[in-house]
Amino acid sequence: MPGGRVCAVCGGSEIEVDAARGDAVCTGCGSVLEDNIIVSEVQFVENSGGGSSAVGQFVSLDGAGKTPSLGGGFHVNLGKESRAQTLQNGKRQIHHLGNQLQLNQHCLDTAFNFFKMAVSKHLTRGRKMTHVIAACLYLVCRTEGTPHMLLDLSDLLQVNVYVLGKTFLLLARELCINAPAIDPCLYIPRFAHMLEFGDKNQKVSMTALRLLQRMKRDWMHTGRRPSGLCGAALLVAARMHDFRRTVKEVIRVVKVCESTLRKRLTEFEDTPTSQLTIDEFMKIDLEEECDPPSFTAGQRKLKIQELEKALSKKLEDVEGEISIYQDEIENELENSRPKAKGVFANLTKDESIEDNTASVFGEEEAEDEELEAAANHLNKDFYNELLDKDRLKKNEGRECKNGNETPVWPPALESLLGPLPTAASLGITESIQECISTKDRDHNENTGDGELDLSGIDDTEIDRYILDETEAQIKAELWMKENADYLKEQKEKEARIAKEKELGIYKEHKPKKSAKKREPIQASTAGEAIEKMLEQKKISSKINYNVLKDLNSKGSSTPKKEDDSTDDSSNTKKLSRRKSTASRNIANTINSMGKRLRPLISTQLAKKAATEEVTFPDSQTEGPELEKPENVLVESGPVSYNHDEEAEEEEIEEEDDHCMSALQLMGGNDYGCDMDDDDGY
Amino acid sequence: MDADSDVALDILITNVVCVFRTRCHLNLRKIALEGANVIYKRDVGKVLMKLRKPRITATIWSSGKVICTGATSEEEAKFGARRLARTLQKLGFQVIFTDFKVVNVLAVCNMPFEIRLPEFTKSNRPHASYEPELHPAVCYRIKPLRATLQIFSTGSITVTGPNVKAVASAVEQIYPFVFESRKEIL
Repeated sequence: MPGGRVCAVCGGSEIEVDAARGDAVCTGCGSVLEDNIIVSEVQFVENSGGGSSAVGQFVSLDGAGKTPSLGGGFHVNLGKESRAQTLQNGKRQIHHLGNQLQLNQHCLDTAFNFFKMAVSKHLTRGRKMTHVIAACLYLVCRTEGTPHMLLDLSDLLQVNVYVLGKTFLLLARELCINAPAIDPCLYIPRFAHMLEFGDKNQKVSMTALRLLQRMKRDWMHTGRRPSGLCGAALLVAARMHDFRRTVKEVIRVVKVCESTLRKRLTEFEDTPTSQLTIDEFMKIDLEEECDPPSFTAGQRKLKIQELEKALSKKLEDVEGEISIYQDEIENELENSRPKAKGVFANLTKDESIEDNTASVFGEEEAEDEELEAAANHLNKDFYNELLDKDRLKKNEGRECKNGNETPVWPPALESLLGPLPTAASLGITESIQECISTKDRDHNENTGDGELDLSGIDDTEIDRYILDETEAQIKAELWMKENADYLKEQKEKEARIAKEKELGIYKEHKPKKSAKKREPIQASTAGEAIEKMLEQKKISSKINYNVLKDLNSKGSSTPKKEDDSTDDSSNTKKLSRRKSTASRNIANTINSMGKRLRPLISTQLAKKAATEEVTFPDSQTEGPELEKPENVLVESGPVSYNHDEEAEEEEIEEEDDHCMSALQLMGGNDYGCDMDDDDGY
Repeated sequence: MDADSDVALDILITNVVCVFRTRCHLNLRKIALEGANVIYKRDVGKVLMKLRKPRITATIWSSGKVICTGATSEEEAKFGARRLARTLQKLGFQVIFTDFKVVNVLAVCNMPFEIRLPEFTKSNRPHASYEPELHPAVCYRIKPLRATLQIFSTGSITVTGPNVKAVASAVEQIYPFVFESRKEIL
């Protein structure tokens, strides 16, 4: 409405604007064109000291400003929504951390933007805020290419690097931000500065950079921490320029382990570049590239393995030959051995056992050659042992192949060898039988409904998995000893629960967030209780206070501005977070309204907690008996409640369960009387 | 690119994880007392039973759910699971072998060439992620197959997937990409 140009009535263009009264008047016809003009001038107030200051508020750039409190004097809540609070909190933390890292303002703003994106995608749920913030900051560092490492951040926060890394990777993935790969060259200036090279800083950095590039071409840098490579490069560069920097100093700056550094140095030593002198290095750049050190190590391992295999094969062959010789020798000896009598009669029995084992072996020989070789190997060892023993005994350096010693020696051999290989061979036999045994035994013992197909399952072996009684006992004892502490704890806990049950105090401890503890409100009447509750409660921006005030005074019939608001709370202890219009509302309506209040109250009651059912009817009876509910209500003033959507949703669900019973209570009880007491306010 | 070299590549399956249900409540205490090779973890409520023949470790819960790990092939996993169920039967529970499912397969594969990781990451941006500060390998995820590959600079690749087929196809899929970023041996 262009009040300043042309008068709508007479068409005259002489319009006078009076700032004091806020009017725009046409001087021609006198018609008022505008009333209550909004002025955008700065106002000043006078201070107590005589000075004057401007009137106004600072409003923050992002997020809602503080809502003006109506009537004042009430607990002003921050009034902000949870989302705004989170963002503000995040911003503060980002700035705090960023300043410690000496990031510029642009970086911090970008980090805050990342954070906002993360919050809107609900990535902060279930994660520590500090982790998310650190991840945002590191993301900025990466995209901007600042020489900050993840290690720095974790140092500041005292958090495990891998945890931070996990959060960071997730964030980068969800936000679809591709962080450019880390280049170790970025870190050189920073570390060089920390190592304090003075004037030669530039030169040393350049040398280190060249070294690094050389390392890259030599495949030392893939899969390695960039800081380790930097450390090695700087160390070498420093030495090249006659700076005596020890390994320890470099480690402290670069934050890697000493062994890592040494390893990198050794690897570099292996490259042909290391052979160049300093001057040569500066001028020439070798063309050839090397394989990565882990690759060469792997190749080496492979080679060694192959060698070993070849060797073992050869060994086996040789062993085979040796065993053949041994057998022949044995045969010879047996033939040439005189028959043992008397004392040696027992020993011949051993001999027969040995024959049996040999025969057993003979059976399996066709099937399992390896085992035989192993067994023979065992035999060979025993032979050797015995040979040594005999030599020691007899002090003769001669081989026992000589027939001269045979009469005394073979029995000893047999007796010693007898039991040992038999046990071993028997053990092996069993397993051989197992391996070879048919796998087609079908046991149809399983339960009818069970679809357990038992083909290929060997019952006897499974039986061995089950302990018998004595073994079970022993095992039980052992386990008890091991887990004594845990069992004790469990017993104590049970005792405690039993005691509590007896006393009737026992409560199921659900893992719930503890509600804010408030002191129970001691009040004699409902009105007082409401009043006190309101004092504790917080203001919300969703209630039209004017209308509520009207309710008090007139008792008019339009209470509802808050459709969702739950009502009621005589005792607020259970109600920590609910919106509540007062039960004064209900009291009022009871007093003043007619039957149409019934549905009103029932819906309002529907949102009441079960715990209040008991108290509520009582308060209802008291309600109408209040002499001046009005006054009480006026004193309490506008309702304040907390606007907390999330918590409320939970509680509304609870309340719905009890709505019927509350209604019944109300319907059955004194409500009828209340109606009669209608005083017609 | 080189389709025929798939044949030459050996994919070694190192671990197969499977689950099955016994459809009956199991008394862990009894299993712990009477089993010969079991570890009873009472604080978390499970029993670990190790079999020797197919080398398998099974985690048994009292609800009847059993997880088997350590097998080297799918058939072996099933075999081991059945043996385990048989053992439980012998201990006296009314065991029904149902819902057998292979959950995870871990395999290792070796490329005959080395791989340039930074280059590889750049050309495979959304799928590949590389953090040298944290882990020396590139982590490549193939979403439709639900498989994850860890690619090392030496050319060795570790693949995990829901079954053996997925693992094989994952290796086939990744081969051309890896081949691009390989390091030429002079």
